[in-house]
Amino acid sequence: MSAREDILTGLRAALAHSKPFPGAEPAAFQAVTRIDPGEDLVARFIAEVQRVKGEVHTAANDDEALDITKDLLTSHHVRRVVMWDEAHLPLRGVWALLERLGIERVYGDNASVAAAEAGITGADWALAATGTLVLSSGPGRPRMASLLPPLHIALLTEDRIIPRLEDYVAAQRAARFGVFRRSSNVTLITGSSRTSDIEMHPVFGVHGPLALHVVLIKNLD
Amino acid sequence: MKAESFEKIVDHALADRQLQVALDRGTTRGVNARLLAMSETTDAQALRHQARLARERALNQLPELLEQLERNIIANGGHVLWARDAAELNQHVLTICRQHNVRRVVKGKSMVTEETALNHALEQEGIDVVESDLGEYIIQLAGETPSHIVFPMLHKTKEATAQLLHDKLGMPLTDQPEAMTRFVRGVMRQKYLQADLGISGVNFAIAETGTIATVENEGNNRLSISAPPVHVAVMGLEKVIATWEDYAVLVQLLARSATGQRMTVYNNLISGPRRPDEPDGPEAFYLIILDNGRSRILASEYAESLACIRCGACLNACPVYQNIGGHAYGWVYPGPIGSIITPLLRGPLTAPKLPYASSLCGACQAACPVEINIPDMLLKLRRDLVQAGDPSLGWRLGMKGWAVAFKSPMLYRLGGRIAGWLTRVLARGKGHLRWLPPPFNGWTAHRDFPAFGTPSFRERYLRRFKGQPHDSKKP
Ligand code: SF4
Repeated sequence: MSAREDILTGLRAALAHSKPFPGAEPAAFQAVTRIDPGEDLVARFIAEVQRVKGEVHTAANDDEALDITKDLLTSHHVRRVVMWDEAHLPLRGVWALLERLGIERVYGDNASVAAAEAGITGADWALAATGTLVLSSGPGRPRMASLLPPLHIALLTEDRIIPRLEDYVAAQRAARFGVFRRSSNVTLITGSSRTSDIEMHPVFGVHGPLALHVVLIKNLD
Repeated sequence: MKAESFEKIVDHALADRQLQVALDRGTTRGVNARLLAMSETTDAQALRHQARLARERALNQLPELLEQLERNIIANGGHVLWARDAAELNQHVLTICRQHNVRRVVKGKSMVTEETALNHALEQEGIDVVESDLGEYIIQLAGETPSHIVFPMLHKTKEATAQLLHDKLGMPLTDQPEAMTRFVRGVMRQKYLQADLGISGVNFAIAETGTIATVENEGNNRLSISAPPVHVAVMGLEKVIATWEDYAVLVQLLARSATGQRMTVYNNLISGPRRPDEPDGPEAFYLIILDNGRSRILASEYAESLACIRCGACLNACPVYQNIGGHAYGWVYPGPIGSIITPLLRGPLTAPKLPYASSLCGACQAACPVEINIPDMLLKLRRDLVQAGDPSLGWRLGMKGWAVAFKSPMLYRLGGRIAGWLTRVLARGKGHLRWLPPPFNGWTAHRDFPAFGTPSFRERYLRRFKGQPHDSKKP
């Protein structure tokens, strides 16, 4: 018998012999993280990102957002970036900005991407309760942009902010989980990389980005 | 583990000042972080129960869910392999390595590969393996094994860590964890980029979409999964869950219980290899599903232990773990849950003392996010040992006597050597106990309880009576 058959047969026999948890019924689902009724989701998102050592820069419009992005790139002495295609960013003019600043856009294999000092991405969604960004991989959306460079700049509009992980799951269920067929990798990012391995003492900036900056753009009402 | 050496290992652990400092600093932070993080949820009790039911539903339908998982992964372009035991899992990985001409492997954290000793198997075939988790990497450098399922180097102080990095890699000495971390980041970068294959563990496998979920903070796991051209994920078969709603509650309780975070920094959701239109990510994806005794556990009265999500909360909360650390438990899984699954996975007589390395105080069960009744299973394992004719009978009877004696002050006075041994464990060689199990916790809530002296009063009294010099060393 193959290992597969062996194992499945063994499991079926085990469960037939004694169904270990006869009473387990699907329960009504309760969300984990508290959000107060009427709480301002944008304010909550900003506070939560700051709590996990990310920075949020609010922009009243696209011009302000471009200015903030420019300041971030110049203050970090960025000369190369790996970025999502502009079609997947909520902000026009980033590419033109890079050209004006003489910043090179790198593509391709990991070795060239590893030379980039910054990654620029959008985000599918943001979760207010935990300060989490949801990024899915896809054409024009390399995984490495949010992972390999020391600086991660995420561009986000306020209307992408939803309350919690549970709301993200509900939305994906309504969409029949298409994202998990299209994207080999969905990543939930909460703050900049950290470790507590040495005496459970938190240190920020380990193997992933050392710094996470969210440029949060107001929607025109 | 070698049964006869358990007390020796424990005595060494208690005498090891470096270990005691590291355990003190680490477990205290761990317990406090969890308590705070659970207390600020919508309803900690209701959520634990919800998480428990999610695990129970998964265990009840294991064969169907595993088949569904497999179907969905294949539909997404991945491969699924099954392994009855450790050797078969290692063999699968070696075969994949040969198929893809792999010489260098980078690994994210995986307890299952510790269970199968995969690194050793790969190294024997001349394949270079690097652990990429900071703690796992440092332990690999030191030639040691993890002592905690979440914080693998909990047994090491920052001073010992700095010395190791200095000796092995020439890092300038420092007592700043920040500086050490930055140094290791530099060393690891190239390793990710050069690796031919990345191996990761699995925290949850979501059957309904064929997605594996990993949980981490450092980014090493994401890099190990995304940078090399081949990704191999390995999981114990109990890791499968039915739905994304179950994932949502479990992953958040895992973070809160393990590290006190609301979410870990990265939650990676992998559904097969990179799609043809995607710019990066591995071209090949394999999931290996390991049994290695788990289906046997499912058939037993210990099935509940398969609900474990490996958060480590029961380790941090356990007064015995707090004092002896993870290595004393002798195998991959330490602490209260380790005392259960080690004998279950390896056979009861391989670790006859682990079920007794507990005062049955219940701190583990109170900490567990999926309400596993650890004390109850420890008692049942003790019963099984008696029935199996455990050879270390005298020791066992002593421990059993101790457990009974704790409930009876009169008997307690007669507890003798074994009581002395376990109170010294609980007092971690400092001469006092910060904490006693019920019914004595009323005492230690406000004051320390002195450990039994070495030698005991009774022994000293007898020596004196016989005219021997009085040992004046402070106990
Ligand atoms: S038994 Fe419970 S507390 Fe212990 S590691 Fe498993 S899930 Fe966590």
